[in-house]
Amino acid sequence: MSKVNTVLGTIPAEELGFVAIHEHIGYGMPGSELDTKWWKTPEQRYEETVPKLRQFHEYGGGTFVDATGICNGRDVDYYKSLSAKTGVHIVACTGFVGGDTALPHFARATVDYLSRQFIHEITVGIGGTGAKAGIIKVGVSRGGRMTELDKRIYRAAARAAAATGVPILTHLAIDPEPAVAIFNEEGLPLDRVLFGHVDDGVNAPITPDTWIVQQGGRLGFDTFGYETELTDPPFWARPRKDRMDHFLRFVQGGQVDRVLASADANCSPLGWPGVKGHTVNYIFEVLIPDLRNNGVDEETITRIFVDNPADFLSIRN
Amino acid sequence: MTDTTTSTSKTVNTVLGPVPAHELGVVAVHEALLSVVPGAEYAYDITIDRAEIFEILAQKLTDFREHGGKTIVDSTGMFHGRDLKLYEALSRSTGVHIVASTGMGPEEMLGGYFLTPQTNPPTPWPAEKFAGLFAQEATEGMVVPRLERRGAAGMVTVTATRDGMTATDESLFRGAARTALATGIPASIRFGKDALVELEIVLDEKLPADRVLVGGLDRRDAVAAGAPLKVAERGAYVALDHIGLEDDDAYVNDRERATLVLDLVKAGHGGRILLSSNAIGVAKGQLGHDVAYSYVASTFIPLLKSLGLSDADARRILVDNPRDLLTVR
Ligand SMILES: [Zn+2]
Repeated sequence: MSKVNTVLGTIPAEELGFVAIHEHIGYGMPGSELDTKWWKTPEQRYEETVPKLRQFHEYGGGTFVDATGICNGRDVDYYKSLSAKTGVHIVACTGFVGGDTALPHFARATVDYLSRQFIHEITVGIGGTGAKAGIIKVGVSRGGRMTELDKRIYRAAARAAAATGVPILTHLAIDPEPAVAIFNEEGLPLDRVLFGHVDDGVNAPITPDTWIVQQGGRLGFDTFGYETELTDPPFWARPRKDRMDHFLRFVQGGQVDRVLASADANCSPLGWPGVKGHTVNYIFEVLIPDLRNNGVDEETITRIFVDNPADFLSIRN
Repeated sequence: MTDTTTSTSKTVNTVLGPVPAHELGVVAVHEALLSVVPGAEYAYDITIDRAEIFEILAQKLTDFREHGGKTIVDSTGMFHGRDLKLYEALSRSTGVHIVASTGMGPEEMLGGYFLTPQTNPPTPWPAEKFAGLFAQEATEGMVVPRLERRGAAGMVTVTATRDGMTATDESLFRGAARTALATGIPASIRFGKDALVELEIVLDEKLPADRVLVGGLDRRDAVAAGAPLKVAERGAYVALDHIGLEDDDAYVNDRERATLVLDLVKAGHGGRILLSSNAIGVAKGQLGHDVAYSYVASTFIPLLKSLGLSDADARRILVDNPRDLLTVR
């Protein structure tokens, strides 16, 4: 049987249902917790978060993958309560959003230490929560090139993925050559890696998406909804049609099994204002109707949001 | 123990509130209580057992008190394990005044929020933003992350990179100077490469030199460059703050520190000397530095006296100088 680690325990992959593969309950850069400008009461946090997850559940959402790294405000006890009360499976990650979000204790660590940290969180649990990580997050630091620390984290993640069977999800897919080289060197099949954010406005033009697919990797079109049509778009926004055309090139070009899609929204951001009106439910409210309008059939939609994520998330050993 | 004082009286910010400056007694001005390398709290192989930490720190603070110590400054800043509720309980239970600090550094020890913010481009924080963050801790209270503010910070402490100040280190230093100017708490700077050059950065912000403590002046390179005397001549406080560290080639030993103290006194700078150990009560994610907080009073001062330091000068160094520095202006 295929299994997946969620914050409330290991479940059969068949139970995942409809998956939002790259989302955040709340994300903040390390250190943002010191700045009272972002603080919210627990009442406010639950008020901002619970209705979105309940709506997601009502729309038919089954599983919410939280891609918030170790030092970015990941809060597994909170996720457990949210999951239990809303009925949405939540998959938590181990790993780091990028080298520039790894605090000094980890920034100074060896590949071996980092891989032991990841393996512990996948096989024993995260801190004292008892919850096991279901995915490993890695990423490229700001600046556009992989740093030495980014590479150390990728290599540690590759070893942890090979050892545990849990997949890897990346923040950004720019400068992927060193990443692919590391995964190959560590013997990790590239279909265990989702190269994320291939679709964002800043990075899409410089992401060699076709090359990544040729190497065997999966593509994450996972910033759906961060679009220039918003009243106050973030700097990584992109015109809605451009993103859809980009996505359809793969979906309708025979590569549907290589793509995953998500909205990368924050239910309640931790260290930044967030983007007003953008939630995980963009997937149901805008993206899926858009796909249908573009002639994508139900079977294909199911492959993107149910079958591909189940195959990707299943612990492979 | 915590007096509610009128706004006109001279006070020092402690974790239990403002305390009249004359109550401070013997002060250890550069120490660490709980010191946690940022991120170590998430490490799979590190446990943070609060009851155990409390027991160890209470024992060390009690030893400090039994050797005449009355006030300790946790000079680790706001992002290196500072645990305000623990320090409040420790102060209540041991009777030692605890002054906690705001500030950060060097750049390597900062979170990404300050270095690669979610803006395009990801411009690191400038001095005025650090000044705002630190000054609020001195006026409105120090933060328990994402929860609440507690007592006010009694010192702002910043550190520069050993190989030389980075642009963000300079922002930290300028931010600390502005904090000290705006709120009246003192600034502690741990220099990276060149104590004098880096001291000038905070003085350039118009902070009076007698509001500045320069830490690490018992580093061998600083001593060789004559930095302790030059810092004193500039009017800032000279912290020889690794007392008891005898086996590190980067630092002079206690015998050499004693000579430095006596030379500074002879040169008329007895009013600018501070002694401390940079001891770490409990270390997580790093090597400990297990010198007793009482070491200066119990071991080093007797050595100084045997070499000719007067009782009056000893008292000045242990009591008067740190009191003058820590008194909120
Ligand atoms: Zn994300």
